[in-house]
Amino acid sequence: MLLTENIKLALSSIKMNKMRSFLTMLGIIIGISSVIAITSIGASAEAVVSKEFQSFGMNNMYVYLNWEAVRDQPIQYADLILPEDIEALQARFPDDILYVAPSISASSETKVGRVRGKLGMTGVAADYNKFYHMEMIHGRMINQSDLDGKRDRIVIDEAASGYFFNKSDSVGETFTVTLNGESRDLTVVGVFRKEASLFDQLNTGESYTTYIPYSLLQTVDDSTSYLELYINGDKDQTQLGGEIVRYLARIKDKVPEFYRFESAEVQMDMINSVLGTLSIAIGAIAAISLVVGGIGIMNIMLVSVTERTREIGIRKSLGARTKDILTQFLIESMILAAIGGMIGTLLGIGIAAIGMGIAGVALIIDPMMILLAVGFSAVVGMFFGLYPARKAARLDPIEALRYE
Amino acid sequence: MNEEIIKIEKLSKLYENGDLSVKALDNISLSVTQGEFIAIMGASGSGKSTLMNILGCLDRPTEGYYYLEGIDVGEKTDDELSEIRNRKIGFVFQSFNLIPRTSALQNVELPMIYGKVKASERTGMALSLLEQVGLTDRAHHMPNELSGGQKQRVAIARALANCPQIILADEPTGNLDSHSSEEIMEIFARLNRKEGNTVIIVTHERDVAEFTDRIITFKDGSVIKDENLKGVS
Ligand SMILES: Nc1ncnc2c1ncn2[C@@H]1O[C@H](COP(=O)(O)OP(=O)(O)OP(=O)(O)O)[C@@H](O)[C@H]1O
Ligand SMILES: [Mg+2]
Repeated sequence: MLLTENIKLALSSIKMNKMRSFLTMLGIIIGISSVIAITSIGASAEAVVSKEFQSFGMNNMYVYLNWEAVRDQPIQYADLILPEDIEALQARFPDDILYVAPSISASSETKVGRVRGKLGMTGVAADYNKFYHMEMIHGRMINQSDLDGKRDRIVIDEAASGYFFNKSDSVGETFTVTLNGESRDLTVVGVFRKEASLFDQLNTGESYTTYIPYSLLQTVDDSTSYLELYINGDKDQTQLGGEIVRYLARIKDKVPEFYRFESAEVQMDMINSVLGTLSIAIGAIAAISLVVGGIGIMNIMLVSVTERTREIGIRKSLGARTKDILTQFLIESMILAAIGGMIGTLLGIGIAAIGMGIAGVALIIDPMMILLAVGFSAVVGMFFGLYPARKAARLDPIEALRYE
Repeated sequence: MNEEIIKIEKLSKLYENGDLSVKALDNISLSVTQGEFIAIMGASGSGKSTLMNILGCLDRPTEGYYYLEGIDVGEKTDDELSEIRNRKIGFVFQSFNLIPRTSALQNVELPMIYGKVKASERTGMALSLLEQVGLTDRAHHMPNELSGGQKQRVAIARALANCPQIILADEPTGNLDSHSSEEIMEIFARLNRKEGNTVIIVTHERDVAEFTDRIITFKDGSVIKDENLKGVS
């Protein structure tokens, strides 16, 4: 009906008072832009985190001694996780536990010729590479006989190989490291390549990631308090973790909470719930700023109605009905708010893009968000424009014409 | 064609402001036939504008009846009155009342927009109305770029949109010099003679009133004289 006319009218009246319109939109602009910026950053961060977990191993699980449960009594050798316990776990969960090893690591300074450096050595069992997205480019991974024989073997990454030996294939070369106070010569049996994860990037420590038989790190005895597991991804991890620690407690004749577990999935659920809470908080901030923006619009529309009282009188004298005046002012406040929403969206995307650009992470923009933001601002405009529009629409024609 | 287009009976308008009350119209009865050309005269404050506003369906009387084309206007809702103003009445004001920052053409189109005339037809019709008042070359001028006389001609063109039968003009020449006044009155006379419009104007000037056929004189809210200038009709 009068829609196109009203839109044209609204745009020309907004253009007529550019500065005033802009200041009026500011509340909406700030509200929408902060929401868009934060949610875009949040979505991008969430994507990064979940990708990170995926590459790090969504099926990773740790089982460990609950130190709080044993606080009161001195810890016994039998309380710790022993090789026979690991075997029992593997026997009990043959399809669910794909890899298990004590989680032990160490680091050491080393020197090859004149090249100095630091090695981070993670103790692993055989077949570690099959589960942790490693690509062996030279040689082989630590195997069972390295483990059983406590052989002085090491697997290093390509970067370390290049750094220390100035070549990619350093199989057969040796490192001299200090392990548990004694000096040992470790022979390189394999070189691997691994895509650097975010955690690796954060861990910009000068040390290189290397793998050695975990048995090399167990000096005093072969017990451990911390197990690393790679489990079957088809199972519910919380349930499986519970079964594993309860079984362990039973065979060790302990109370069920004596051992605990932690898994990537459970951690990710936790991060997601934190992000969820965050988005509720953002929603609240957005709601407040939109209400403030809406009040700004209401205020300026009231001013506009007063300023244009005479014009309203003229329109009514020419045949405008209550509804015509109502829609004219409602559309004006909606467009005002929607333009604010659009500017806010662009600004928000800009801020997020700059933020993500600095972090070096790809920006994720949800088109639904944009539609929602602009639509929601228009609704805010409509809601807060209703009162001024009704005030305009209800003006008595003769009173309005007499207004000076 | 001697149809009674306007009939008012015992019409009164009382303005009450606290303790102060003014009887702007006092028990007036009047009848207008289709095609009449009438001037309303009288001292300032005698109630002329009050009557015109009621006739134009912009205001309602406190008492009495107003029949427009036989319909009791008093029973109409505000929106129905808007529709009557849109289709049946063209109102011209002393102060022009053009919408600011809106071109002459768009001002003339306005009643057609509210009358739901298609956009494709509107512009052509508005241009021909502007041509009737001799302002084709000013169609795209803003009101503040027009002289008083030109503004009033745009206002008349706008009043003629939707082809209303009745033209009401409250002191249309009140802000104009004698030359412009004459031009305006000639337009009204032509509308009355050629198009058969019923035209009622308010004026303070006798020579303006003499363009018409009938002069009604007001005093203190009552009609004191109703003279027919063109002999028996
Ligand atoms: N809104 C109002 N409130 C109170 N009194 C009013 C109002 N409008 C008009 N009046 C009074 O009603 C009386 C008639 O006013 P009206 O405007 O009809 O006079 P008029 O004949 O048009 O005068 P003029 O020739 O000066 O235009 C005046 O006494 C005026 O003061
Ligand atoms: Mg008057």
